[in-house]
Amino acid sequence: MRPVVFALALIATPAFAQVTADTPNPLAGNADAIEAGHGLFGKMNCAGCHAYDLTGGMGPDLTDPSWQYGGKPGEIYHTIAEGTPRGMPAWKDKLTGDEIWQLVAYIQSRKQ
Amino acid sequence: MALRKILLGAVLLGSAALPSSGEAPKKEAAPAAKSFTGATANLAPGDAAGQWTRQARDYANTRYSPLTQINTKNVGRLRIAWSFSDGQMYGHEGAPLVVGDTMYLVTPYPNIAYALDLSKPGAPIKWVFQPNPDPRAIGKACCDKVLRGWAYADGKLIYNLLDDNTVAVDVNTGKEAWRVKLDDVTKGPTMTMAAFVVGDKVFVGSSGGELGTNGWFQALDVKDGHTVWKAFTNGPDDGALIGPDFKPFYSWMKGKDLGVSTWPGEMGKQGASAPWGWVSYDPDLNEIYYGTSNPGPRTPSQRPGLNLWSSAVFARDASSGAAKWAYQFTPHDEWDYDGVNENVLIEIPWKGARRKVMVHFNRNGFAYTIDRKTGEVLVANPFGHQNWAKNIDLTIGMPVINDAAHPIVEKKVTNICPPDIGVKNWNPSAFSPRTGLLYAGVFNSCMDLNNHIVQYIPSSPYDGMEMQRHAGPGGNWGDFIAWDPVAGKRVWSIKENLYVWSGAVVTGSDLVFYGTMDGWFRAADARTGKVLWSQKLGSGITAAPMTFVGPDKRQYVAVYAGIGGGAGVLRRERGFMPGGNTLYVFSVDGNGIGNGTTQLTQAGAPAPVSVPPAAAHN
Repeated sequence: MRPVVFALALIATPAFAQVTADTPNPLAGNADAIEAGHGLFGKMNCAGCHAYDLTGGMGPDLTDPSWQYGGKPGEIYHTIAEGTPRGMPAWKDKLTGDEIWQLVAYIQSRKQ
Repeated sequence: MALRKILLGAVLLGSAALPSSGEAPKKEAAPAAKSFTGATANLAPGDAAGQWTRQARDYANTRYSPLTQINTKNVGRLRIAWSFSDGQMYGHEGAPLVVGDTMYLVTPYPNIAYALDLSKPGAPIKWVFQPNPDPRAIGKACCDKVLRGWAYADGKLIYNLLDDNTVAVDVNTGKEAWRVKLDDVTKGPTMTMAAFVVGDKVFVGSSGGELGTNGWFQALDVKDGHTVWKAFTNGPDDGALIGPDFKPFYSWMKGKDLGVSTWPGEMGKQGASAPWGWVSYDPDLNEIYYGTSNPGPRTPSQRPGLNLWSSAVFARDASSGAAKWAYQFTPHDEWDYDGVNENVLIEIPWKGARRKVMVHFNRNGFAYTIDRKTGEVLVANPFGHQNWAKNIDLTIGMPVINDAAHPIVEKKVTNICPPDIGVKNWNPSAFSPRTGLLYAGVFNSCMDLNNHIVQYIPSSPYDGMEMQRHAGPGGNWGDFIAWDPVAGKRVWSIKENLYVWSGAVVTGSDLVFYGTMDGWFRAADARTGKVLWSQKLGSGITAAPMTFVGPDKRQYVAVYAGIGGGAGVLRRERGFMPGGNTLYVFSVDGNGIGNGTTQLTQAGAPAPVSVPPAAAHN
């Protein structure tokens, strides 16, 4: 079963290396994906830095128009996957590509 | 000459409790100061009156200056003499040091040190030291990328870098003397506290109460930085340096390996309890005192038990680190009430005898007066608005908790007071041996709290608290108060719009200085609480003020205006000011080395280093 799911994920979303700044979020606006991203945002401790309402604290506000590492969906994907030089951890070993797109979908749904 | 006599008198009065001084106070010079409480302090090491060589001025952490040139009569004429901008935009929290004719400043991350020459017009830069800490530390520091102070010893400026290194700079050359790496910043811990020096040792502790860290405290050798002793807060007794000398006053803190058994399984290892606050020292007992942070995670239902030694204070032998006693202020802390605030060491009259005590304004809203030889709590009264506890039961040393204040996972519990940041935070208080009172900036607020279950993922927050904070009764977020540590009550208070998150300094002329988050630097009469002078500065004030005498024999008062740190929780409130990075130095009429018609630009001062732009977020 697991290989099948993995294959579906590959079909559904571009692999890490294929995501560029201009790659659109295949899950943008998908209600199930947004809800899954919401869950991950708490479960993976994103809320610890960016706050449960995404307005920031230890880390930057994710609802405002200011993006230090780019605010396009592909750029946000890249930031989550690779982390930042200022101490945001890289999540590509702890999250699948689908899960990162779910997080991006959740963040996109909360942008002002 | 008259002035000199008065200064001498103030010094002698202040050091009257010093057993080694060998000099009796001179009657004719002693001001007729009437104490409210009879409390006094040992002001060792007894630096010259015009110097400020450690963050709290003395080992006891009084922040009392015997200076009297600036007094209640002329304080209204204080004007800016000169200012200095250091270019860094994170929160500024420390006080300048003045040693000889030099002032030492260290910025928040990237922790650049400046030496300023006070003997020359405009106080030009003598040297700049840029340590280049690891930028990954930025994402690990919970509450802005701050530094609460720096230390001077043995011809070195010694301070902590955000990336878990302690560094010493040769004050003659401005070059690095040594640097020691004390932890791995990529795993979560940072260092933000002010290094504290006694003799040949520098004491430092870790930060990271929200990052699932394993808090530690250590003594380094001033000469080369090597670790002399190290004590973890939690875990087995041997790692915490808890041995046969350990005699806590209350029975519930007695037993073997409580730093393990009061946690589920191995959770103490990620239980934070980081000693990120102030250190004080009693030279007669040769003991140091410091507090520990909240337990991790902040969601309490995940860690049933007392969670020793979080939210507590330790007394340790300064030479060996052996624990003498401990006291946990908030057992099984459910609200993030860290125990790291300053412990001010004073002597009080108590039931017909003198007692050596510490006074501690805890985040939880109670001010504790504790016998520092034994750890017995003598007084524990609220110093501001709180409703989480009915009282502290002094027969057992434990709080009596209000049932309505317990957090519930995935359910909003309203109006718990105070919120996580407390009725007071790390912002240090001052004590005057003349009035016998303590002076502190305090907070008046509450929270609606919703807790979430969290998992431990190394290098990410281990937190779980979601809250909305609101102002407490009266609608003002803060006050500046005078506190009687014997009766356990406020003597006077000044209402302020926002949290009062600055430190305080009190002088031999009964002036107390503090700053507000909306940018006012104030002087009040230490006896009455009447505000005698205010100056609006360029940013909110979350740093500790200090006072000194320059080479021109003139008294100055100095404070950084650079809002930040934990105060950022109110960044969306009216009156909260933009960030800043300017040290303001005041004198009577603004006279001194920084202005006047004859001042010429000093040639030959080194240019400041090129610094990276500060980040736009906190």
